[in-house]
Amino acid sequence: MNPPLQFEVVKPGLETTVQELPGRLGYWEQGIPPSGPVDFWSFRLANLLVGNPRDTAALECQVMGPTLRLHCSALIAITGAEMSPTLDGQPIPMWTTMIARAGQTLALRGSRVGMRSYIAFSGGIATTPVLGSRAVFHMAGIGGRALQPGQTLPLGVPGSDQRGFHHVGEAHRPPLGSAESRSIACVRGPNDDWLSDASLADFVNSDWKVQAQSNRTGMRLSGPAFSFAPRATDKRPEHGQDPSNILDHGYPLGAINLAGQTPIILINDAPSTGGFINPFTVPSAEFWKLGQVRPHEILRFHQVSLDEAQQRRRDLDSAVTQEALTPQ
Amino acid sequence: MIHQHPRFYVGGDRYIEVELGDGMSFELNILVHNLVAAIRQAAIPGIIELIPELASMQISYDPEAISYADVVREVGALHDGASRIDTAELPSRMFYIPVMYFDPWTEACIEDYRSRQPDKQPDAQLVCQANGLPGRDALRRLHAGTDYWVAALGFWPGLCSLMPLDDRARIVAPKYNPPRTWTPRGAIGLGGALTCIYPDRTPGGYQLLGRTPVPIFDREQRLPAFRDDIVLFRPGDRVRFIPIDQAEFEFLESEVEAGRYEHHCVEHQTFSVGRYREERSRAGAGQPAGGRT
Repeated sequence: MNPPLQFEVVKPGLETTVQELPGRLGYWEQGIPPSGPVDFWSFRLANLLVGNPRDTAALECQVMGPTLRLHCSALIAITGAEMSPTLDGQPIPMWTTMIARAGQTLALRGSRVGMRSYIAFSGGIATTPVLGSRAVFHMAGIGGRALQPGQTLPLGVPGSDQRGFHHVGEAHRPPLGSAESRSIACVRGPNDDWLSDASLADFVNSDWKVQAQSNRTGMRLSGPAFSFAPRATDKRPEHGQDPSNILDHGYPLGAINLAGQTPIILINDAPSTGGFINPFTVPSAEFWKLGQVRPHEILRFHQVSLDEAQQRRRDLDSAVTQEALTPQ
Repeated sequence: MIHQHPRFYVGGDRYIEVELGDGMSFELNILVHNLVAAIRQAAIPGIIELIPELASMQISYDPEAISYADVVREVGALHDGASRIDTAELPSRMFYIPVMYFDPWTEACIEDYRSRQPDKQPDAQLVCQANGLPGRDALRRLHAGTDYWVAALGFWPGLCSLMPLDDRARIVAPKYNPPRTWTPRGAIGLGGALTCIYPDRTPGGYQLLGRTPVPIFDREQRLPAFRDDIVLFRPGDRVRFIPIDQAEFEFLESEVEAGRYEHHCVEHQTFSVGRYREERSRAGAGQPAGGRT
């Protein structure tokens, strides 16, 4: 009898979740966010390394990785934040296809560089999709919750076109921990006309410190105070009392959401709507940085045009393919 | 105030905010829903999803399939075609939601808050005072005396913003400051001129008026109403609150727990903006609403 295609959670790590691309689409108007992996660049490379289509369900680990016991043999790959992975106690390389045998234990530790690691398995994670996606929105328990000790997760049957063992060289992976990873592009809008010109300039000329409370809904920043345009201070009462208040509206992923004087960068599990302005938005090609930012790091923002943001998205999209892998 | 032309705002490389006016009114929100319906019907390749809100909507698009400029052009053209609102017939289901007004669970939540914020006036008392109502009975009659329009959902899965369709039943209330750390699941809240139903035990800021025993959010998708959805309402549905007493609350709660409860919903209805306006003008402005007498 073949062993069951599954693995068991020995230690769950810190809110380790199953994620998948493109996430849960079509339910945002009911308040259900897309979810999905934050650093989708690292996520996709992990899948490619094990021979999966790049958007297949895999694990996202945050800060402290899990310990897992395989019930079957599978190709595995770990990418993203450096979490010192071991297989049966022996260190194994990241960004590399590895084979894990039935009964072996894969353990990840605390992240030393970056914030989120991804673990892909050949065949992908085969949990039951909820509203069309396996992506987990942990806070509301949609698509499941974070991993629990003792839980088993099913794996899919690997495709027949296994491409063997590969490695991703540094030139083809996100430069985690580099100065570039803390310099984040943003596009003006949708509510840039609510800030004063001085504040719009300040935002891209200032240091922003990432605060400790940060999760898959967003991360708070501290920095200089904001000042506002007449639209924010002389407005209809329905918008609310604070200058940063606006009549409830949609929140883009990547929005720099200004609540009072605290900017919050909204990421994949963020509230769908709310009553605060979004003067800038971080475009999708920069999400790997948002996924890997650590508390207390200092960020700088620089403004790019919509065209430039679109070009970066295309460049990143065409860079994350089989071509990024080196055979071993 | 309604803009003559929609205003488009860039939200990064994948999202667009479309603002149709400035302010909160049913007239403005119905324009949003009308345009959302027109965009959906046009099935424009590359438009992924829409979030209708009170005076605006958010469009998600795939920039590989459609450019920002083309979304603006297409949606602008649909807006011009969709602006004859008086002939609009919008799909709109009608839900009857049982509510125990001034129930012991929200009262306990209010008292818990007041034990730490003793200056906070009890919610029902505050709402009565702010709206010139003589007491709880009048507040209940007024609040349950109108259909509500699901103007938007968001912030949390299933959290709904409901507008009274009979403007004589408009009640306003300030929000909690600071917000509550918890709210019972199913609580009915009032903030600004909007009513909400709390889908889950979450923090909150609306004044609490009652509680429904029936779920409007079910992550397990256990009851028949949740076969294809986790969230009961969609934007553009309507809601009527049916006052119940504690015995009925407990009965319905047990039916929900046993998995037997079927939500009372009239499907396949449409909402006619023209007929609604006729009815409103017949009812006349300035007439006292039922609850105030």
